[in-house]
Amino acid sequence: MPLLIAFDLLDRQILDRDGIPVGKVDDVELSPDSRYVAALLTGQRALGARFGGVLGRWITGTAARLDTDRTGPRRIEYALVAKVDSAVHLSVRRELLTPPALEAWLDEHVIGRIPGASDAG
Amino acid sequence: MKRLLAVTLGILTAIGGFVDIGDIVSTSESGSRFGVAHTWVLVVGIIGICVYAEMSGRVTAISTRPVFDLIRERLGPRIGLVNLLGSYLITLLTLAAEIGGVALALQLLSGASYLLWVPAAAIVLWLALWRVKFETLERVFGLSGLALVVLLVSIFWLHPDFADLKGQATTFSPPKGENWPTYFFMAIALFASAMTPYEVFFFSSGGVEERWTPRDLTISRINVFLGFPLGGLLAFGFLATSAIVFEPIGVDVSTLGQAVLPAGMAFGRIGLGLAILGVFAATFGAAMETGLSAGYTVAQYFGWSWGKFLRPRQAARFHVVVLVSILLAVAALLTTIDPIQLTEYMLIFSAVVLPLTYLPILVVANDRGYLGDKVNGPFANIMGVIYLIIVVAAAVAAVPVMIFTGMGG
Repeated sequence: MPLLIAFDLLDRQILDRDGIPVGKVDDVELSPDSRYVAALLTGQRALGARFGGVLGRWITGTAARLDTDRTGPRRIEYALVAKVDSAVHLSVRRELLTPPALEAWLDEHVIGRIPGASDAG
Repeated sequence: MKRLLAVTLGILTAIGGFVDIGDIVSTSESGSRFGVAHTWVLVVGIIGICVYAEMSGRVTAISTRPVFDLIRERLGPRIGLVNLLGSYLITLLTLAAEIGGVALALQLLSGASYLLWVPAAAIVLWLALWRVKFETLERVFGLSGLALVVLLVSIFWLHPDFADLKGQATTFSPPKGENWPTYFFMAIALFASAMTPYEVFFFSSGGVEERWTPRDLTISRINVFLGFPLGGLLAFGFLATSAIVFEPIGVDVSTLGQAVLPAGMAFGRIGLGLAILGVFAATFGAAMETGLSAGYTVAQYFGWSWGKFLRPRQAARFHVVVLVSILLAVAALLTTIDPIQLTEYMLIFSAVVLPLTYLPILVVANDRGYLGDKVNGPFANIMGVIYLIIVVAAAVAAVPVMIFTGMGG
């Protein structure tokens, strides 16, 4: 069954193989011939680009300043997608993907420093 | 026993909706001015929240996704963002009011000003959200909030004229000396408190925290049909006791101390103690509900990892949103803004954003892509549409009525 990008993919939650959220499908990258989806783009940078306008530029700009190592939005190869139902399930654990910059920064500088941050809830 | 405890999610959610600090005072105020004339609003509200909480619980159990997550998928990121901003703002204001409410309950017990209790209450709240298991929170505060049953029992102990109460409850107009706009203002506030948006978001996120699967559909429904009417009944306790005690002598209730007084008149010190304990548990429970909901909605909109079933380090952004929300709430309270007035404003503004919350839920609950053959039946859809009309009417009327009456003056 062909997938409708706008209806079945965009804005859907991406989960890793253990069901832990990885991000939203904020945009998709098509293959050069536009015949299939090459990668999922996730993160506020991709989201801002879709918004457009002042608000969109502000979202993208803020996200880009937080993440100076990367040149574009976070990419997840479509080959890693195992299944699409009410969420997009990946076949790998999220530790294997590059972590979102904001999450990594907050983990290192804020949350990780509070006692008990590594304990299961 | 485990089965019995499985309904505490519904009870806690409902207590946070129906008997949080603003509701306690505005419900009691309505009782003291209008008698039990607003009972019908509570009934309408209880049925409404049951209709939509049932849909949300079903969506969550079948799709294993919280409803707020699906709203952006179906309405797109722009409308989703408007929805996020609206509900986050209301949730944050309520969080501030609830922390103030916990502090007010402690002021009643200790005599020390509530402003001194605000930082302490906020720290304990944050520690609870940081360290304590979701199920434990839900059980402790869901069950101890039931101490408010003392107000329901007080109704009988105060020996009211039941024929008179019945007369008030079946007269659908304001009593002599009160006017229609104020009557409607109170009705909208009570209705909005029954249907506050964070209830459905918290309820469905709680279902995910408890790892509901399609097999838990029954658990979800028991939670809805037991928990929410129970919460509504506790609110009726405040309405009726204030109507019995204050309405005949023409005193307007405007403080928490007055609202719990009828329990003391019926059962002395023990009754008063139980009522204050219940208020403490209910407001603390509501503070938890709103604190977590603030994090849930933001994280679910952006697709971040969230929830207490993960270690905090696995959901760093979620925990930062919760922490920052609590800090903002404390900052708001320390400006010495009155927490009770804060919720009264909040109730009216939440009436305005209600359609944005409930329309998408109705849409998602009809989506076979998520629910397969468990989509809404004709009954759920008829009820859903009727309530959507009521919600839109309340939203349109809310602000003009507020301005016209000068906040129910």
